[in-house]
Amino acid sequence: MDALSQQQKLTQSPLFRFILLQFICLSLMMADKNSQLTQPIRQGLSWVAMPLIKVVDWPQKIYQTVEIAITRQAKLIDENNALKQELLDIQLKAQRNTTLAAENQRLRDMLNTARELPMNTSVAFVTDIAQTQKRQHVVINQGQADGVYLGQPVLSLAGVVGQVDVLADHYAHVIVITDPAHIIPAEILRTGLRTLAYGHGDGLQLKEVPISADIQAGDVLITSGFGNRFPRGLTIATLADVSVSAERDFQVANASPGVALNQLTEVFLVWPEEQSP
Amino acid sequence: MRPNRRQQALVHLSLLISLLLTLIPWPATVQLFMPQWTAMVIAYWSLHDHNRSVMLLAFFYGLMLDILMGGLLGKHGMALVALSFLMLKSAKQLRMTSFWQLLMMVLVLLFNDLLIRLFIDWVSYGYLPTWQDFLPLLSVVFIWPWLHYLLDRMNSFLRHR
Repeated sequence: MDALSQQQKLTQSPLFRFILLQFICLSLMMADKNSQLTQPIRQGLSWVAMPLIKVVDWPQKIYQTVEIAITRQAKLIDENNALKQELLDIQLKAQRNTTLAAENQRLRDMLNTARELPMNTSVAFVTDIAQTQKRQHVVINQGQADGVYLGQPVLSLAGVVGQVDVLADHYAHVIVITDPAHIIPAEILRTGLRTLAYGHGDGLQLKEVPISADIQAGDVLITSGFGNRFPRGLTIATLADVSVSAERDFQVANASPGVALNQLTEVFLVWPEEQSP
Repeated sequence: MRPNRRQQALVHLSLLISLLLTLIPWPATVQLFMPQWTAMVIAYWSLHDHNRSVMLLAFFYGLMLDILMGGLLGKHGMALVALSFLMLKSAKQLRMTSFWQLLMMVLVLLFNDLLIRLFIDWVSYGYLPTWQDFLPLLSVVFIWPWLHYLLDRMNSFLRHR
């Protein structure tokens, strides 16, 4: 038997191996939690992980292509007309916007306040892979090689999606604003009241609004720009209901995000300062 | 030597397929019942592989799972290494036992695997487990016998060729 030929060497015993590997795992976890030391390992292994993600993503791509090929032409023409109409509307709005922006800039110059920094954006597609993690993550198809950095804000057309949480070379995990571990500095558009919006599973929750503050259902939440993560003035959610907390010391409000967070297909990455890729 | 190498290929292939199975997106209700594919395959190979490198495999594929799931590096690794160690220790007895006893043992070990991961989640970001987290064990009861049978057939086919 091979057990005899091993001569009972210590390094060959399963117990030794077990303890060694557990120790490695433990130190990896501690390093990963507290610092960026494990980032090279992550990137190295992500080269092996990338093909797996591609393989899972591939049938869905084929499905989409086939769906487009099969869709009847009449339907496509209808869709095309609708899109043209929408484009016209948006162009009109954009034209008004340019004059407003110029006016805003002049006023800001007169008041000597800081200029609004231009934002660099790039589009990333959401890779549809299952997440058995107990966190609300979406995986996007851009990573460190595309200039993505940890903590980078991620948006969609309807509002804020979240921020980059785990980074690999060619993909990244984005933590969604409704994750219970996520907190975003927010502001109420109507009154300018600043507070924090905690992730709450399906929606967001404001836990620390003073009793005297004026908030009501239907108020729009925007990012306040505090903490220098998210640029100011992006839509987050609308308040669904407002109540007083059990201890009667704060008002508690629930908000539902404007983005359908489980139906994302594409998102925008934002470089708030001149950190373009 | 040659069949041994083929067997190695089968080990890696089955583990890669188990990774893919965990990645495939399902509706949320099905996702709740998703069994721990990689853990089951690791359990099978710790039971039947005669060289002792399964623990290293468990470690490596655990890290892969962590990378793919974007979790804490080493979380799945720790759970899978523990699973394969416990399985290896009692492999000789387990190979002899009846179907039901083996199934019970696998269930207990997979439960342990879940517990380790939930504990790490709790320590690292204060996640509180809910009863839904244990639903995968139900589907393990149905899937393990088939998986065991399938891998057994392929394994013996390769060995006797």
